[in-house]
Amino acid sequence: MIDAVDVRMTFGDVTALGGVSVAVPAGTVHGLLGHNGAGKTTLINVLTTLFAPIGGSVTVAGFDVVRDAAQVRRRIGVTGQFASVDEDLTGTQNLVLLGRLLGASRRAANRRAAELLELFGLTDAADRPARGYSGGMRRRLDLASSLVGRPDVVFLDEPTTGLDPESRLGMWDVVRTLVSAGTTVLLTTQYLDEADRLADTITVLSQGQVVAAGTATELKERVGRRTVSVTLAAADVGPALDTLRRAGLDPLQSGRTLTAPVESSRALAVVVRALDDAGIEADDLGLHEPTLDDVYLTLTGACP
Amino acid sequence: MTAIATPPSATPPSAAPTRVRPARSGVLVQVWVLTGRALRQLHDPRLILLSLLQPLIMLVLFSQVFRSIADSPGFPSGANYIDYLLPAILVTTGTQAAIWSGAGLATDLSNGALARFRTLPISMTSLLVARNLFDLVRNAIQLIVLTVAAAVLFGYAPAGGIPGTTLALLLGLAVATGLSWVFIALASWVRKVELMQMVGFIVIFPLMFASSAFVPITGLPPWLRVIATINPLTYAIDAARGWAMADPTSGATVSTLLIAAGLTVGAALIASRGVRRP
Repeated sequence: MIDAVDVRMTFGDVTALGGVSVAVPAGTVHGLLGHNGAGKTTLINVLTTLFAPIGGSVTVAGFDVVRDAAQVRRRIGVTGQFASVDEDLTGTQNLVLLGRLLGASRRAANRRAAELLELFGLTDAADRPARGYSGGMRRRLDLASSLVGRPDVVFLDEPTTGLDPESRLGMWDVVRTLVSAGTTVLLTTQYLDEADRLADTITVLSQGQVVAAGTATELKERVGRRTVSVTLAAADVGPALDTLRRAGLDPLQSGRTLTAPVESSRALAVVVRALDDAGIEADDLGLHEPTLDDVYLTLTGACP
Repeated sequence: MTAIATPPSATPPSAAPTRVRPARSGVLVQVWVLTGRALRQLHDPRLILLSLLQPLIMLVLFSQVFRSIADSPGFPSGANYIDYLLPAILVTTGTQAAIWSGAGLATDLSNGALARFRTLPISMTSLLVARNLFDLVRNAIQLIVLTVAAAVLFGYAPAGGIPGTTLALLLGLAVATGLSWVFIALASWVRKVELMQMVGFIVIFPLMFASSAFVPITGLPPWLRVIATINPLTYAIDAARGWAMADPTSGATVSTLLIAAGLTVGAALIASRGVRRP
């Protein structure tokens, strides 16, 4: 549904995208992960026909974003980083305006507006000017605005940045609903858990380059292994370090917490038994799956 | 925000079993819908009042301060200064409205209010045309109120009567349209509100004063007279004044309309390219 091959984009001397390729099959969610300035928004701007790339080729919904920009625009919905709703208009008026611009009759536009307002829990605020909406409501109206034309592909640029945790969960539900209806979604995020939970496939961008791509699981596997961590009751960690070494592990110490990479979850039992045999008491003990934070730090060498 | 979860009965947003894509809207529909959106601002009477204030102040000040010019040589004999002044004000008010129209677009472009429109299958030119139509309506209201105020407060009653004044007003609107497009073109590339306003006033004020707007050109110092003679605003003001004072000059009228049309077309082309840039 989205096929970007070797996309290049520069602004003056700055290379914003240095040959980025992304392929997103229909009906899936793709997450673009990267810190500020990694090129996420530039890539979105290319995919949504706003920038013509200086190199590479991009098709969205089967149409070339440069040659057939008008066709692409008929099939996409875009929600940018900054909610672009008309503050003077009510929720209904905002959506009806877009429906009419997309060629719907006044009646059809009204019907679609009511449908979307209900879906996004904005029915009660439908006739109030958007000026008085809270940040979360504005975001929802913005997202609703991008769905008026029933797009095949929806682009969400940092859809949950600045939202409270509950609103974030709500936004995730909406994305899942969209996908269950067959829509293709491409979202950018700085939140690793967001990409992990929502995206079928992920592309990690750094300084305009793809540094990793794949499913969340694949990325985690690339970074590697699970770890066992033990927080000791006693301040003296020496005996515990020795015990873990004798059990065949390579522990790292940080305060009273020891961590060690392990091959399988069976290692947890080994650690428990070894500590127990040595009479060492632990306050906390656990097995940790690698997180996308680990992926990110390992691959980009930068702080997220 | 739990309300956002889909109620079991609701249709997911894109799940309509038959995917009927709305037909593309025509340019006329786009202009119509977008002009309607802009005109909603007129529901706020404060904005209209504020936009009237400046030209009204100018009308009052100039008509009183420069009244004695009516006695100077070169002034049409037997005419009142207000009859001489108002047609010029009808033209100069439009030039200032043009600055506001550019500044308004710059605001919308810099705060992202128009970002979504670029990703829609609509012509961005229709967005600009809609804006211009809105400015035209606002301008027409301004000029009509000004004319009525001049008639009621200062006894404006030129020889050309209502038909002549109407033509002068229409010329004022033509000048405003041409200049609005120039500032819209500037705004679509520059996008900095303060810069726009500064450029606007730096350009517009000399144009206004180095013209035949407030005093007869023959009363100006020679160097200023040269500038005033080639200043396009002088044509427009002479043309408007001619119609209002029943002494029409077709040359100035035609020049004014040609220049306004040229500016409109040229600037519209530049603007519609610029406004596409994110």
